[in-house]
Amino acid sequence: MSAVTSTTASAADYDGLLLQGGQWRGRSFTGLRVAVLAPGREAALIVPDVVRTARSVKVFQEEPDWLVAWHLPLPRLLARPAARLSLRWSVPDPWTRRRLTPDGRFNTRRPRVDGRYYAALRQPGCTLITWPVYAFVPDGVRSAEGIEHRVDCIVLGTSSVFATASSREDVPA
Amino acid sequence: MSFDFDAMLQTIKDKQWSLADIDWDAPGAETVTDELRAKMKPFMADLVWIEHVGARGFASLATKAPTPTIRRIYEYFHAEEQKHANAELALMKRWGMLDEDGTPPEPNINVKLAIKVLDEYGDGLPLTGLATLIPLLECALDGALVKFLLDEVSDPVCHQVFRHINSDEARHITVDFQVLELIGAGPLHKLVIESVALLKPQVVLGLIVVFVPLINKMRDNIVAMGLPEQKLYNAVKRFATIGSRGDFTQRIPAYHVLRAQAAMVVDRTSPYHRLLADPMVRLTSLVPARLLGKPQAWVDELTHEPIAS
Repeated sequence: MSAVTSTTASAADYDGLLLQGGQWRGRSFTGLRVAVLAPGREAALIVPDVVRTARSVKVFQEEPDWLVAWHLPLPRLLARPAARLSLRWSVPDPWTRRRLTPDGRFNTRRPRVDGRYYAALRQPGCTLITWPVYAFVPDGVRSAEGIEHRVDCIVLGTSSVFATASSREDVPA
Repeated sequence: MSFDFDAMLQTIKDKQWSLADIDWDAPGAETVTDELRAKMKPFMADLVWIEHVGARGFASLATKAPTPTIRRIYEYFHAEEQKHANAELALMKRWGMLDEDGTPPEPNINVKLAIKVLDEYGDGLPLTGLATLIPLLECALDGALVKFLLDEVSDPVCHQVFRHINSDEARHITVDFQVLELIGAGPLHKLVIESVALLKPQVVLGLIVVFVPLINKMRDNIVAMGLPEQKLYNAVKRFATIGSRGDFTQRIPAYHVLRAQAAMVVDRTSPYHRLLADPMVRLTSLVPARLLGKPQAWVDELTHEPIAS
């Protein structure tokens, strides 16, 4: 269940390199300041890859999701406590951890298997931003804490609230 | 009576503004004289931190929001309060109140206590408590302080910034009280259970040690600036006025407790000041800040830079 209603912001207002769908795969981001706009489950796929080559990465995480480091044959009831433990072990900073914790009442997705996202967020040059993005401008994005974030490249996740209908496809949960 | 929270969320999205919309080097900074600068600096520092702490309050509120839409609204409000703090910090920078690097001012001890309590207990507070406390803080501190500022300063950039901030705050107060209506209309047993949960010693103590002196300390600062404290009191009265308009808000016990407190705050002859609030201001001023430990990383998120690259 998502509370995100229609948005008037359009990625077309951004003049830099805009990557949608799977266009970020296998690409080098050397020297680029990159913004990734995606919910947690998808940022977990994109960010570890982008952070390897980019000069800096700002992760605009639209909604957190549960992640577990390994595939464990756990019953559904234990999947979420396992994800919580995984988060506790991987992210020592309480404020970052708080921003990576999904709202259990509204986010009912099963934890996704991913062992790289939390580590990628701790790389130097990688910043987790959870302020809502409300507009695209020629040089980057503006978020609701009042700041314009200028970047050379925007990677738009397919589940992002800003993904156009044609590029949107469901990412397996 | 049902309020359209979805429409409100859309309005909030449509009304977003950015520090980058404002020309921070526009003429007018010279209207802030050396005398005014010295007088305003502690006041502005308090204002920045109160907005910043208010932002953290909305973050806690989001975890308790009754619906996904209201949660999203609170996430925006969290960001907007941060934006207000950032914009006020940018005004401080414009007026030469910060050092070359724009390092944010140090918060006073009452703000530090509020940060500590929010970090420790904020996310654990039941919805009725937080949802009642936040509109009182918004009415009292934000409403009153902002009016003082606009009376004192003629810089057009300041007025431009506060036109945005006031318009945001009007939406915050509308939503705050609509959520109280929603809570108040809920089942009575839920109201009672949540209210009993609020009687935990750490919550009651938190209110007395943090909130009571925070308001009186701010009043002292305002009086020290030579401004009439009556304006703060008028703003506090708004809390009772708006709350009494609702059909269901008055079913919330926490609302009555805070309204009674607000009534004591605005009555200068009340023993509340002599016996509780003023001694708490003196007592808290003796607390060594290092006892409070390191605050969480959100306190470092303040910035006066409209553009980040």
